[in-house]
Amino acid sequence: MRYFAQRFLQLIVVFLIVTFVTMVAIQAASKDPARDLAGPLNSTEARVEEIRKHYHLDRAYPIRYAYWLKNLVTLDLGNSPTLGASVRTLVGQRAPITLLLGLYSIGLALILSLPIAVYAAYRRDGPFDRFVSGATFAAVSLPNIILAVLLGYFFATKWRIFPYAASKIWPWDDFGEHVRNVALPTITLAVGLIAIFVRLLRADLVNTLQSDFIVMARAKGLSPARILWRHALRSSLFSLMTSVALQFGGILGGAVVAEQIFALPGMGLLLFQAVQQKDLLVVQACAALFALAVVIINFIVDMLYAVVDPRIRHARALG
Amino acid sequence: MTSAMHRPQDGTLLELRDVRTHFSTARGIVRAVDGVSFTLERGKALGIVGESGSGKTILARSIMGLLPKRGTIRQGEVLYAGDDLAKLDLKGMRKFWGQEMSMIFQDPMTSLNPLMKIGNQIGEPLRVHLGMDKENARATALKLLQDVKIPEPEKRLDQYPHELSGGMRQRAMIAIALACGPTLLFADEPTTALDVTVQAQILDLIQEQRRDRNMSVILVTHDLGVVAGHTDEIAVMYAGTLAEKATTAELFANMKHPYTEALLRSIPKLDQPSHTRLMAIGGRPPDLITPPTGCRFAPRCPYATEKCRTEIPVLESISAEHSFACWNPVGSSHWQSKQDELASNAGLASAGGQA
Ligand SMILES: Nc1ncnc2c1ncn2[C@@H]1O[C@H](COP(=O)(O)OP(=O)(O)O)[C@@H](O)[C@H]1O
Ligand code: SF4
Ligand SMILES: [Mg+2]
Repeated sequence: MRYFAQRFLQLIVVFLIVTFVTMVAIQAASKDPARDLAGPLNSTEARVEEIRKHYHLDRAYPIRYAYWLKNLVTLDLGNSPTLGASVRTLVGQRAPITLLLGLYSIGLALILSLPIAVYAAYRRDGPFDRFVSGATFAAVSLPNIILAVLLGYFFATKWRIFPYAASKIWPWDDFGEHVRNVALPTITLAVGLIAIFVRLLRADLVNTLQSDFIVMARAKGLSPARILWRHALRSSLFSLMTSVALQFGGILGGAVVAEQIFALPGMGLLLFQAVQQKDLLVVQACAALFALAVVIINFIVDMLYAVVDPRIRHARALG
Repeated sequence: MTSAMHRPQDGTLLELRDVRTHFSTARGIVRAVDGVSFTLERGKALGIVGESGSGKTILARSIMGLLPKRGTIRQGEVLYAGDDLAKLDLKGMRKFWGQEMSMIFQDPMTSLNPLMKIGNQIGEPLRVHLGMDKENARATALKLLQDVKIPEPEKRLDQYPHELSGGMRQRAMIAIALACGPTLLFADEPTTALDVTVQAQILDLIQEQRRDRNMSVILVTHDLGVVAGHTDEIAVMYAGTLAEKATTAELFANMKHPYTEALLRSIPKLDQPSHTRLMAIGGRPPDLITPPTGCRFAPRCPYATEKCRTEIPVLESISAEHSFACWNPVGSSHWQSKQDELASNAGLASAGGQA
């Protein structure tokens, strides 16, 4: 419980720091944030000054930040001058698809990499292990963008299994269509992740399989499957879990790129436009949302460490 | 495999015939076990003694078939209740593991699964081999924890290894090993990782369980003192081979092999001043890749002769209960003259020291 509280506090602090720093960076990069916020065209001086007052842009950063935070909590993030809609609506429409893409690719990568890594480690240096070693090496060396183009060419243009230009269809509206539309961007992101996950997990498993308690498990007469899945896997999850936490920010970044390629209307396009148009509020909101997602995933992983390993649970409970 | 119901109560349980286990490594072939033969009766406890690196663990694991797959070369026969275990593949061996034979390992801290509750670790073989349901396995696990006299057994079921003391962990491991009522129990240095105060308790516990369950026990240790009170027979191992084998009483009364003699002298004796307490055996155990020709102990043996360095002494019986492999055994004329010589040298040395 204490571990939980500590981690939760940490999460909030990290979130505050990250969003503050992004706000400063975004606004400092602009010549005059108020003018940008007023909109690119025909905004009068009076309008600019009005905006400046409204968003407290004449105040020091910490005070601006405090107001922004207040707005964030009340989910009143202002309006986008260029897109003519409230920031909340814009982000609300676009963000879920990007987050889903991130979660799908991690989910797919985990589902596939677990059995692959387990079998490769079990038959270490065998033909399958060697193949996996080569394939994962190739996969990590393959840039996402090339993979996306290849996938698009074969699965969309040539075989027409998936649409090339994806459309945003929510899973609760039509699940089948949703899957068809997010499939290619998800696979694009998952391939690299599978390679990384398999390599990390296989290496840890190979180590674990040499431990005394595995010899003991064999001496108990347990089947290889039971030894691998019940005994070895659990002790070998730490690098993998850490990697999920560390990679999540990068995965969201990758999702933005994948959306662009497959024209999936997620956060990517929104962010791209917002940056170009100096739509500072939208950029800030997107950054905050990404930060929140990353921080939450890290929090979940921290909790999972304790779920997996009772020693962490107990040490933290005491300390 | 004989079922527990029709298990004979006496007779030969295990017979090893010229068992060899070699490992192929980058440096060459490691002859970890190099031609070991012996028999073990049902219900008896055999101690395997020798310095670290003499091949005790590999011998025990060769019997059980619990060896690394890669690079292992095996020869000889391991006859267990009529079956030659050496011929079985992994799947065949697995039917014996945890049921017919089980093993207590040296370090309970690393040998227990750190992420699994004690109760589940004991219950696992019960559920897998005996098909018990969860509740039944838990109740049996509790009963086993009581058998191994763990304090507050109920509480231990839901604890993890790191929450127990070293002695309790070893008791838990014994409970796991005993779970399915094995016929043959291996204990590989079961007390080496433990506090001296609990060592004797654990050894007594193994003895007691052996009697209660009519198991055979193979107790592996580097310490002759450990096997003295806890075995019926002792096999002394040196560099992958048997140097001497005898009933425990006979060995201590009438040891024949100079290596056994040296081992005995290296047992700490509490009633002697500390500097004379431990007479380590001079020299180092031989390289198992290119072991000495002739007697493997020759380079370190104070009684070695030319014959020892060229001809391998074979294990010969002097009675039904005693055999050894040595050209100049304890009590032989050469041994005697060498003893006299050593004694007079020692006398001179100490006289010189006093002058
Ligand atoms: N897998 C292996 N590969 C190569 N050599 C090994 C292997 N396992 C054990 N050995 C060697 O076999 C010898 C006997 O080891 P072991 O049976 O563990 O000795 P003991 O238990 O008597 O201390 C040692 O020299 C050890 O280095
Ligand atoms: S055979 Fe020779 S070298 Fe070997 S133990 Fe006996 S006396 Fe020593
Ligand atoms: Mg050993």
